[in-house]
Amino acid sequence: MTTLSQRSPSSEFRLLATPLVLFLLVFLGFPAIVNLIYSISDVSFETLRQPRISGLSNFAAVWNDSAFWQASWFSLRFGALTAVLECALGLFLAIFLSPLIEKRSWLMAILMLPLMVAPALVGLMYRLVLHEFAGPVPYYLWTWFGASFSFLGPTSAFWTLIVVETLQWTPFALLLFYMAYQAIPSEIVEASAMDGAKRWHKLWYIELPLMAPTIVVALLIRFIDGFRVFDNVYVLTGSGPGGSTASLSIYIYEAFFKQGAIGKAVAASVILFVASFAVLYGLNHIASRRKGAVK
Amino acid sequence: MINALRWLVFAVAAFAMNFPILVTLVTSFKSARELSTNPGLWVYAPTLENYATVFTVSDRLNIFLYLANSVAVAALGTLLAVALALPAAYAIGRGRLGERTLLPFIVNLRAVPLIIFAIPLYMMFQWLALLDTRLGLGLILTIVNLPLALVILVNAIRDLPGELDEAALMDGATRFQILTRVIAPLCRPAIVTSLIFGFITAWNEFLFGLMLTTSKAVPITVGASFFFAASGGGVQWGVASAVMVVGALPPVLLGLIMYRQISGSMTAGAVKG
Repeated sequence: MTTLSQRSPSSEFRLLATPLVLFLLVFLGFPAIVNLIYSISDVSFETLRQPRISGLSNFAAVWNDSAFWQASWFSLRFGALTAVLECALGLFLAIFLSPLIEKRSWLMAILMLPLMVAPALVGLMYRLVLHEFAGPVPYYLWTWFGASFSFLGPTSAFWTLIVVETLQWTPFALLLFYMAYQAIPSEIVEASAMDGAKRWHKLWYIELPLMAPTIVVALLIRFIDGFRVFDNVYVLTGSGPGGSTASLSIYIYEAFFKQGAIGKAVAASVILFVASFAVLYGLNHIASRRKGAVK
Repeated sequence: MINALRWLVFAVAAFAMNFPILVTLVTSFKSARELSTNPGLWVYAPTLENYATVFTVSDRLNIFLYLANSVAVAALGTLLAVALALPAAYAIGRGRLGERTLLPFIVNLRAVPLIIFAIPLYMMFQWLALLDTRLGLGLILTIVNLPLALVILVNAIRDLPGELDEAALMDGATRFQILTRVIAPLCRPAIVTSLIFGFITAWNEFLFGLMLTTSKAVPITVGASFFFAASGGGVQWGVASAVMVVGALPPVLLGLIMYRQISGSMTAGAVKG
C-alpha cells in the first residue's frame, strides 16, 4: 500500500483535470473579468483598451431602461408559457402513445426529428410557412375560410413565437416523460391492478407521482431554454415592433451590435450572469438537501 | 378502437411538429413559377433547379464554404470537448476531485444564457485575431459542448467497477495509463454518444456563428440566412428552402441513424445531472 500513497493519486487526478480547468479559465474566467471591469467603466469601441472606471452608471442605465424590463418580462413569460405547454403536451403524448412506441421504436424517431434541426433554421422555415404569398398556412386559410391572419403582426407575434417554440421542443419533454414512464417498475403497476384500481386512479395516484421528479426537471430545463431564447426569435421577428419580442439575449445582442452601447450590454450581461448562477446554485442546494433528507 | 385513436393522435402530433420541415422539403422541389400559383403541400412539377442554384457558387454565396466551415468547427468543437472532458471526468468520477465545485459549475454552465460571455469573447477574439476564423468558432463550440460531454462521461465512469482501477494500480500502472488503456476503451459507447450529440449541437449553433464570423468562417446556420436576401427582389422561396434542406440534412440523418444513443444522452443531463 505504501507504493500507492507514494504515487499520490490525488495529484495525478489533479493533473488530469488541469487541461479542462485551464481551458475554462481562459475562455470563461477571462471574459467574466472583462465583463466585470467594463460593466463599471465608461467604454466605447474607440476606447476598448483604456476603459475608465466610472462607477455604477452602466447599471443605472440598464436599470432605468424600460426596454431591459420589457425584455426581462418577455423572457420570463416566454420561458414559463413554453415550459408549461411543452410539458403538458409532452406528458399527454408520452403516456397516451406509449403502447404504440413500445412496439415500434421508430415512431419515436419521427417524433424526435424536430430536435435535430437547428432552431435558427426552424425559425427561417416558419418565415416560409407563414408567408402571405408563398406560405401554405395563409394559403389554406384563404382557400378554406376566405380570410387569413397576420401571424407576425404586433399583437400576434408573441403567440406565434410561443407556438413555434412549443412545436419544436415538445418532443424533448415527450422523450423525457416516455423514458420515465417506461422506468416505472411493472410490479407496482401490476399490484395496483390486482387492487382493482381504475385507469385514472392508477395514473393519478401511482404513475404521475412516480414521474413527478422528471416533470420538475423537464419544466426547469424547458423554462431555462425558453428564458434565454435567441435563434428562432431573432430570425423570425428580431426584436419585433417596439421591442415587443426582444428576449434578454436579443436585448444584449442589439445593445452591443446595433447600438454600440458596450457598457449597457456588458452591465446587462453581468446582471443576467449573477441572477442565473444565484438561481441555479439555489436550485442545486435545494435538490441536494432533498436527496439528503431521503437518505 | 382506442388504438385507432392513438394512431390518430400520433399522426396529428407528428404532422404538426414536423410541419415546417415538411413544407420546406416540398417547397424546395417547386419551380418559381409553380410556387407563385401553388403554395400548398403538393408539388405538381417537381424540379431540382433550386438545388442547382444553391450549389452554384457566386461572389456573395458559397454553400460549399459554409458547409465546410460547419464540418470543421463542429468537428473541432466536439473532439476538443471530449478530449478535455474525458480525463476530467475520470478525475471527478474516480478521484472524486471537484465533485462539489467543478462538476456543478460546469453542469450549471449548460443552463446559463451564453450571451453573457459573448461580448467579452468578441473583444478577446478581436485582440487575438480569432474573429471570423474556424479555430475561434470551434473553441467556443467546445464550451457549448463541454457540460453534456462531462455529465455523460462522469456517469459512464461511475458505472464502471472500481476494482478495474485497483487491479491496474497493483500492476504498477499510472492513472494516465489506466485512463487510456482501461477506462477509455470501456467508455467507448459514452464517448461515441458525446461525439454524436456534440456534433449535432455544434452544427446547429447559431448565436456565436452570427457574432463571431462575417465571411471566411460562416457556418451553414448563418449562411442559410444569406440566401433569404439573395436577389434584389423578394426572397426566392424555392432556393431558400433548398438551402435549409441542405443545412438541416446532416444532423437529421445523424439523428435518425443514432436516435437511440441520442435519446439516452439528452436525458443524461436531465435525469442524473
